[in-house]
Amino acid sequence: MWRKRRFRQEAIAGYLFVAPNLIGFLVFQLIPIVAAVGLSFTAWDLINDPQWVGLANYRTLLKDPVFRLSLQKTFLFVIINVPLQSVLALIIAVLLNQNIRFQNLLRTLFIVPWVSMSVAVGLTWTWIFNSQFGIINQILQRLGMQRIPWLASQDWALPSVIAVNIWQYLGFHIIVFLTGLQLIPREVTEAAIVDGASAWTRFWRITIPLVSPILFYDLIVNMIGTFQIFDLPFAMTNGGPGNATRVYNLYLYQKGFQFLRMGEATAMAVILFLLIVATSVLFFRIIGRRINYDIT
Amino acid sequence: MSRAAHSLMRVFLYALVFLILFVYLFPLIWQFSTSIKHLDEVFRGFNIFPAQPMWENYQVAWSSFKVGRYLLNTVIVACTVTLGQIICCSMAGYAFARLRFPGRDAIFYLYLATMMIPSTVTLIPSYIIVLELGLVDSISGLILPFIFGSALGTFLVRQYLMSIPGDLEDAAKIDGAGYFTIWTRVMLPMSKPALATTAVMTLVSQWNSLVWPLIVIQSDRWKVLSVGLADFRLYRNIQWNTMMAAVVTATLPMIIILFMAQRFFIQGIQFSGMNK
Repeated sequence: MWRKRRFRQEAIAGYLFVAPNLIGFLVFQLIPIVAAVGLSFTAWDLINDPQWVGLANYRTLLKDPVFRLSLQKTFLFVIINVPLQSVLALIIAVLLNQNIRFQNLLRTLFIVPWVSMSVAVGLTWTWIFNSQFGIINQILQRLGMQRIPWLASQDWALPSVIAVNIWQYLGFHIIVFLTGLQLIPREVTEAAIVDGASAWTRFWRITIPLVSPILFYDLIVNMIGTFQIFDLPFAMTNGGPGNATRVYNLYLYQKGFQFLRMGEATAMAVILFLLIVATSVLFFRIIGRRINYDIT
Repeated sequence: MSRAAHSLMRVFLYALVFLILFVYLFPLIWQFSTSIKHLDEVFRGFNIFPAQPMWENYQVAWSSFKVGRYLLNTVIVACTVTLGQIICCSMAGYAFARLRFPGRDAIFYLYLATMMIPSTVTLIPSYIIVLELGLVDSISGLILPFIFGSALGTFLVRQYLMSIPGDLEDAAKIDGAGYFTIWTRVMLPMSKPALATTAVMTLVSQWNSLVWPLIVIQSDRWKVLSVGLADFRLYRNIQWNTMMAAVVTATLPMIIILFMAQRFFIQGIQFSGMNK
């Protein structure tokens, strides 16, 4: 009897402690997720009542050339950004892992861009990329080269924004890799040195296999994040010139909050989710099974 | 390898690391440098240190472009949400780690499952909920969706509490302490490292948050710094040095906090980079 009461009390306490968190989760996470699927089958401008339209939003999107363009830009963004960022971060992490002093200070300095507001970072780079007075073009000019209209050109705008994105989040990935590298047992590296393995051999035979699970994780997390890129293109080019940097979420935002097509915008969100799931599954299938999971 | 060759390698390594670091941080150095330059100097030359530092640029940014007002809103939102997250995640983390109640694990796994869902999916429905609650264009609309805690924070606290033995808790129980006392006296102090990490991650994401304030706020009064800065693209009469002064105002507070709480930032990255 006493135990039973005690058990009930504990359960009540448990629910009370979880309550604020759970309410927030239900109202702003679970219900929106379910509602998103429903909303994507409606036409709604926020003013009149939503109308059930079935799959019409999805059909409209598939025929929309700007939608297809934004999809293409986003894929390009992911394909260029993710591998370049991870490889660069891995190289720097390996350098920092060579018994370098001031390790903590260096790690912290490398994540300064990551804690900086994306809009602020975007504006800073808009200045650096400025066609007339930006420092990059001034240097190019001094070197006797032609100026490049970085953000104002159809060809250069997307690569420029991608470069800034790689720059901003590089430190984040360096930290992830450094953590992985520090998990490699010292004896393994030392044994290889005794056996006469060169730094190059050690990198390919020890470092890469042993950090491969973290590399794989990092690529997945990075990919999911990059599919949702918004802040930098919004701050730097707002999708332009033309549609050169109109990434998926930028177009979704415009559809929803400028053209007030809530149904279509939600359908875009659902499609993005499915694309992310599909790409992740594909990634797991192709690379995931070749990863060596026992770090010993 | 001979000793001389070895030290030469070390020198080369240090030189390389510091060169990479300088190039990497140059955009931020240039940003600050531009923010204290006279307009004449902005448009020519490569000097990092201006002949005469113009701190007045900050005054112009603050008074003519409402940077002060936006900053205040950002501070209010980021601090309130962070405080709420610490309390709610700590409470929930304690319950998930230490209390037994029906459905506990099911709820927790539901949390974990939804962590993978991109925030884009919940954006429009969340906006509609805030709209129905009548909180659009108010500071509460910025705070409410995030104040109840996050799955990541709850997860961090739970894992942390599960990794430490329950001696203190048992001692408190024998002394007749209730659940609330155990939470405030034992769990809250014990889970400090996990809470610090949660706090730091929340602070950064709220300080830098753009999409949500962009859609929820229309009036100038409640605009946060990220949205206010984004508006600068539309102004024709703003100069680069003034803009960079505003940009430094937006980034500097987080950089200072980063240097004060390095350890927790690193931990936050390690968790979000590996457990997502």
